[in-house]
Amino acid sequence: MIQVEHLTKEYKRVIRREGFLGSVRTLFSAQYETIPAVNDISFRIDEGELVGYIGPNGAGKSTSIKMLCGILVPTSGRIEVNGLIPHKERMKNTRQIGAVFGQKTQLWWDVPVIESLRLFRDIYKVPEAQYKHNLNLFNDLLDLHEFQNTPVRQLSLGQRLRADMAAALLHNPRLLFLDEPMIGVDVVAKERLRNFIQEINRDQKVTILLTTHDMVDIEKVCSRIMIIDHGHIVYDGSLAQIRNQYGKQRKLVVEFEEAVPDFSEPNAALVKSEGRKKWFAFNRFETSPSTLIANISSRYPILDLAVEEPEIEEIVRTIYQGKPGNARENGT
Amino acid sequence: MKVFLAFARQSFHSIAIYRFDFWLRVSTVLILMYSIRWVWVALYTQRPGAFGASLEQMITYGVLSMAIENLFYSFGVQYYMSQQVRSGAIDVDLLKPLDFHFHMLARNTGQMLFRLFIMILPAILCGYLFFGLRPPATPLAGFQFALALFIGYLVGFHLEFLLGSIALVTLDIHSIDWAFNALLRFFSGQLVPIWLFPGPLGTLASLLPFRALFATPLSIYTGLLNGEAIINAVGLQLFWLAALVLLSRWFWNRIQARIISQGG
Amino acid sequence: MNAFQLYFRLIHISLLSRMQYRANFLVGLLGLIVWNLVNLGLIGILVTQFTSLKDWTLWELVFLYCLWILGHSLYALFFSHTDQMETYLIEGTFDQFLLRPASPLIQVLGREFQYLEIADALFALTGLGLAYTHLGLRWDGWHWGFFVIAVMSGAVIMFALNLLIACTAFWTGRSRGAAFVAGQFYGLVQWYPIEIFGKTFRVIVTGFLPVAFINYYPSLLLLNKLDRADSAWWLSLLSPLVALLLVGIVSGVWRLALNRYSSSGS
Repeated sequence: MIQVEHLTKEYKRVIRREGFLGSVRTLFSAQYETIPAVNDISFRIDEGELVGYIGPNGAGKSTSIKMLCGILVPTSGRIEVNGLIPHKERMKNTRQIGAVFGQKTQLWWDVPVIESLRLFRDIYKVPEAQYKHNLNLFNDLLDLHEFQNTPVRQLSLGQRLRADMAAALLHNPRLLFLDEPMIGVDVVAKERLRNFIQEINRDQKVTILLTTHDMVDIEKVCSRIMIIDHGHIVYDGSLAQIRNQYGKQRKLVVEFEEAVPDFSEPNAALVKSEGRKKWFAFNRFETSPSTLIANISSRYPILDLAVEEPEIEEIVRTIYQGKPGNARENGT
Repeated sequence: MKVFLAFARQSFHSIAIYRFDFWLRVSTVLILMYSIRWVWVALYTQRPGAFGASLEQMITYGVLSMAIENLFYSFGVQYYMSQQVRSGAIDVDLLKPLDFHFHMLARNTGQMLFRLFIMILPAILCGYLFFGLRPPATPLAGFQFALALFIGYLVGFHLEFLLGSIALVTLDIHSIDWAFNALLRFFSGQLVPIWLFPGPLGTLASLLPFRALFATPLSIYTGLLNGEAIINAVGLQLFWLAALVLLSRWFWNRIQARIISQGG
Repeated sequence: MNAFQLYFRLIHISLLSRMQYRANFLVGLLGLIVWNLVNLGLIGILVTQFTSLKDWTLWELVFLYCLWILGHSLYALFFSHTDQMETYLIEGTFDQFLLRPASPLIQVLGREFQYLEIADALFALTGLGLAYTHLGLRWDGWHWGFFVIAVMSGAVIMFALNLLIACTAFWTGRSRGAAFVAGQFYGLVQWYPIEIFGKTFRVIVTGFLPVAFINYYPSLLLLNKLDRADSAWWLSLLSPLVALLLVGIVSGVWRLALNRYSSSGS
């Protein structure tokens, strides 16, 4: 579906000179510096995948997505979407992709949703039968009929996003870009949107690239994640893999029968202590939970315990920060 | 004060990035100075007595009015405000521990200062060398001109600020801005000196704040206003400045409260 | 859907949008009225003080001015929002245009429809009608035909020039400032018969920024002034050609602008 090889995008930026005279000189002769927004990235996404695309702000996410959409021309490298080169065949490519931007709606602001959908139907030349079929689908899955006659500006955020989803999928694109679609949405609406995303991915085999800062979205919805930072892909693999590779740390949460003084165990560090509960962090390759439990219970009687998986968020943060050790264990 | 300078400096530097914009404005000013000279010559030869001034004075008036053009509408405060509210970024501005009005003034002034040194002073020089712009009537008049111009600048800023605030309520900046610009061009005396206005229109023009931007400073420079008349004119400028500052602050405070309560 | 169909669908939806805001309608109308009153006022003042300019009488000047306004209003009716190009770029609207299988230019042009400009057009037609009567003009079929062509050419020239200015936003990030100075320029030049300006200037507004073809040269023909002014008579007929030439230039520039946008982002 998507094939990206050694993709690079560089921007030229005017170098700001200091001081008054510096500014004046810039007026007459500006000097430029080259900034690589995307630096030699390569990946491949097959049809039907649901990929989470994450990275800190300014990492190169929107730049790479713009190139996939054909809006931006790469500086070098190869990029192919379903057999087309996006920037070379922009219009043709637009027919096979759809996009939802959380920050900005595609719909016309002051007119009822259905008017926008009608216009999109005609712009994308969607056959009438397909159009009707999709509207029914959206009525079922998104309750579109509840607000289709309302102007977009009067919709709640959740409704607006649902309308944007309908608009993006109206022409049955093979590839869907979701750019932070759930910012500011309440938990109930989020759950609903997540289900919708999974459903169309499953039933219609729509390939989806989801950009988000919310790790819960990733954990619940995506099978694979790509992490981009400073223009490089620093991780590309499944969630399970990332936990195995990077999340060596587990936490053992022990609740004692009564409050006990803090203590340490060999191979386990006490990271938190609250009332009768204590959190121990251990490296699962070095210690097994049962050994740890046995040791701890021999000291004090245990009331309850749990083993916590490493949080994706923590792992990702570590990767962003480029920490050696954990992050470099098995290579990317 | 330091904050003021910080914003001013930031605005100052950002202009240099927009080189094309800069050169476009510079060439336009030159073309306009050239054109207006011809207009005045044509009008003057038609009927020399109409102006109550010499041709040299009128040419100076006209050419100088084009040169100082860029002192105003520097930053487009009204557009900035409209854009910030539409994109929601206004919240960021409001969260700063800084008075919004003051903040805008600082940004605007930064740009204005840059334009002053880079565009306006060179334009005046060109006007003098090529287009018949004469030196001020007296050195004192030159100084008074600078003062009146500065006050005029402040009046212009507050008019734009007020405009921006109003546009936030009505949501459409463009028609209002067009109307405002039309009124400004008319009543400011930039294109047609307001003493040419017939009867009641002339009286109206002399009372409105718009003349503070062009007519007053330009008349002082060319010596068409002197002595007591200057004091009256500048007094009117100051009156309007005070009124506009108060009005701006009052209006803006109300809008700010509204924005905050509605969440943008 | 071809370009025209797309365009009409777009302005249809934009008109629907505008209908939602009655307050804006009133404000817009007010703005328009003020603008026209002001311009009328300026002419009025000039004319009370100066009964004629070179050998252009009052009504001839009114004709000149209204001919420009008519062309301008036709242009503005459809395209005056091009000065907002910078906003489309900054707010990401333009990216959305590029995501659709439709010409981004048509989408920009179809973004708004300034129906209020009809008032301007009516005002201009009234002025032209009055001037026609007061000057005792008598046009035959050829004149009327030329009048229509001249007005349309004027509108097209304004469209092309203003789109060129709007395109500067792709390089400089700003278009509003340039649009403003252009407005200044028009305001100065379109009012006066260019014979009052020096030779260099006349060459500029004929050859380089051909605004003189919007109202001045056609006026010479329509007002039977061809023998009085010292310009070549055939210039008056060139308006449509100038319009076509500018359209050609601006489509080239638009292509360059798109290229620029796709290589350097916002």
